Amino acid sequence: MLQYVTLEIDGADIVVPRGLSVLDAAIEHGICIPHLCHVRYLSDIGSCRLCIVEHVVNGRSKITTSCTLRVQEDMVIQSNTERIRKLRRNLAELLVAHAPNSRAIQDIAVRCGVKEVRYPFRNENCVLCGRCVRVCSECAGANAIGFVGRGKNRRVDSPFGSLSEFCVECHTCIELCPMSIQPCIGYMEPGEERLCGACESQLDLADELPGHCVWCELGENFQCGRY
Amino acid sequence: MSRDFTIKIKTVSELEAFRKRILNDLKKARVVLTLCGGTGCQASRSEAVSTAVKDELIKQGMDENVHVRVTGCHGFCEQGPLCVIEPGNTLYCNVLPDDAREIVTKTVRDGEVVERLLYTDPVSGKTIQTESEIPFYRAQDRQLLAQNRQVDPCSIEDYIAIGGYSALAKTLFEMAPKAVIREIEASCLRGRGGGGFPTGLKWAKCREAPSDEKYVICNADEGDPGAYMDRCVLEGNPHLVLEGMMIGAWAIGAREGIIYVRNEYPLAVKHTRIAVQQARDLGLLGEDILGSSWSFDVEISRGGGAFVCGESTALMASLEGKVGEPRPKDVHTVVDGLWHKPTTLNNVETWANVPSIILNGSARFASKGSNGSKGTKIFALTGHIKSTGLVEVAMGTPISKVLFDIGGGPANGIPIKAVQTGGPSGGCLPADKFYLPLDFDALAEAGSMMGSGGMVVMDEGTCMVDVAKYFLTFLQDESCGKCVPCRLGIDRMLEIITDITEGRGKSQQISLLEELGHTISQTALCGLGKTAANPVLSTLRYFRDEYEAHISKEECPAGVCEALITYEIDPEKCTYCGVCKLACPYEAIMGAKEEVHTIDLQLCQKCGICRSECKFEAVQIN
Repeated sequence: MLQYVTLEIDGADIVVPRGLSVLDAAIEHGICIPHLCHVRYLSDIGSCRLCIVEHVVNGRSKITTSCTLRVQEDMVIQSNTERIRKLRRNLAELLVAHAPNSRAIQDIAVRCGVKEVRYPFRNENCVLCGRCVRVCSECAGANAIGFVGRGKNRRVDSPFGSLSEFCVECHTCIELCPMSIQPCIGYMEPGEERLCGACESQLDLADELPGHCVWCELGENFQCGRY
Repeated sequence: MSRDFTIKIKTVSELEAFRKRILNDLKKARVVLTLCGGTGCQASRSEAVSTAVKDELIKQGMDENVHVRVTGCHGFCEQGPLCVIEPGNTLYCNVLPDDAREIVTKTVRDGEVVERLLYTDPVSGKTIQTESEIPFYRAQDRQLLAQNRQVDPCSIEDYIAIGGYSALAKTLFEMAPKAVIREIEASCLRGRGGGGFPTGLKWAKCREAPSDEKYVICNADEGDPGAYMDRCVLEGNPHLVLEGMMIGAWAIGAREGIIYVRNEYPLAVKHTRIAVQQARDLGLLGEDILGSSWSFDVEISRGGGAFVCGESTALMASLEGKVGEPRPKDVHTVVDGLWHKPTTLNNVETWANVPSIILNGSARFASKGSNGSKGTKIFALTGHIKSTGLVEVAMGTPISKVLFDIGGGPANGIPIKAVQTGGPSGGCLPADKFYLPLDFDALAEAGSMMGSGGMVVMDEGTCMVDVAKYFLTFLQDESCGKCVPCRLGIDRMLEIITDITEGRGKSQQISLLEELGHTISQTALCGLGKTAANPVLSTLRYFRDEYEAHISKEECPAGVCEALITYEIDPEKCTYCGVCKLACPYEAIMGAKEEVHTIDLQLCQKCGICRSECKFEAVQIN
């Protein structure tokens, strides 16, 4: 039998099954917490850090990722404070400066309020969210790709750099990759990258109802849990 | 001393009888010659010294009643290899294999002192005969380090002789697990690995966690540049750490322990292995320890050298055979640790403090130290300071006492500008903060941290922006790359700092650095990331003027950042000797004989060789 817990997210009391993550609980109840590496049916590793929230314990708030935090009875979560918004904006800025040629990442940056990018653009092809690696091992059961290297040399690769014999070419990794859709303004050549910011997707609504899911089209591009 | 390998200690009284026998054996030696064999001294050929001494003793027929003990690190590494001769407690420094004959003949045989091998006080210029008179030792409070000198790490007998394993006996037969935890809680012992988490609380939580299997882990994956406290304790006195782990395991209800030691510490690995085997041979590890029906064993696991594996969850991932990456700690490892079982992980020094707390009581331990931090702490004193080495002082000792009373002040007469505490992710404290006590809370408040106890001293010739750049480069190499703030954030901070040191900095980049630093420290996944911004944030806090000078005036006040300096020859000081001209690898120095030399700035690669070669200080930095 399912057990339920009651917790408070952004002032709203919600009831969700035990064992759920705070992020899933929020999305289920229409509260928008931006996220990138989280995919509903995969394990969470907390690598993109976009879904950070303030977890208030005994009056002290602790910042943690909501995807890795399990719901508990009487938990108090704040997902949209000034502090969180600023941190999230800075993280999104790092991501979009690193890999601007992705509609998903451009959209996340817009959604997180990035107005300008203060770092030189890099035009990389991967943000190491690990969606592909996890879907390959957890859904396809193939383990045909994995993380290789450490720190700035970390990359996703097949074993020893050659196509794994376990790869069944299911293409799920490509489907989940946030880099697979170009920004609306088209592919930007190295040197001409910019913050797209051209998106008109219900952002006005999002501004009026901060922190609430407005079924924005942005969400579709990073496979938000609502879609 | 020969060991009877068949003996098994099955009760406390057998342990006491064994101890008595060892002490009697030790009394037979007329002279005890202690040689430091730590990694630092080994690099200065201490092994050859000990062989030479032993050969010489055999040659002179004195090997029977002279006991040669090769020990772990004594701490005064700058003067190594060290040799202490009892009775008399004479300390010889910088001993070479060729000195063996003189030491054996004069000191061991005739009881005379070899004057030239004594320590010379750099301040007064006088020679000093015993350790206790040397300022470096005198101002310390060596609770853990002092034992290193009394113990051969490869001999369990030596450890038992100084009272070893009696704390374990007391725990097993006189204290309930909860009483042990209460004693540790009362001592206010806090984790020595960096975080400073109260050890007693950690144990209590782990004990409460429901599970039939629990683990204790000793974290010996020390990797801070310039810090080697844990190596010294583990390779110098491994049984002390083992005993601490056994007491902890008894308290939380674990039956298995793991020592995670980095493979770059071959001597520590070797000594720990020997220690575990000896303890097993004697029956102090294994089934039914001392007849208490309690069983415990320890495994040794070698780390592959990743700095991040010193982080508890990454260490456990590594032990499980996975990639050494941290995982979120929303559920703490005392509940969900190694193999998803409750796990207590403590640092080497923390474990090493446990036996004496149990044996001598928490009150004695808590009598030392400051309000929030009790006991003593070992620091690795390195950098631009006269006496480098390992220093153990009571918590709360002012930084200035460590730098000036123990360390003897700056090495080259150039005033000390800053001290970096807490390893690569600690912070730099300026000279006007040297009054601060060395305790967890005061250092954290000042923007640095205790860390595991590294102390890098920097003089006025150091550029603080360059220092921040060095530590960022280290952290960028060692970051696992899993989370965005640590991987991309450190990378961007390094990018900005490199711009600043190479003259491309812009004034708005300082506030960006600060904002980015705070973002990283609040959002990163693990302790490495959360503290990675400290070197930048602390130098920005205390040495902002240096950053500003790099940006607005395009100059490096300390004359370190290559892109911002030029070398020039002062025509008044130049004696036309030609030394710099010969030394320059780029042939950038012009000038015939009897003619003032000049540097061709286009050819000059700013290596600084000319400056170090010039005896007349004619080469200057602009």
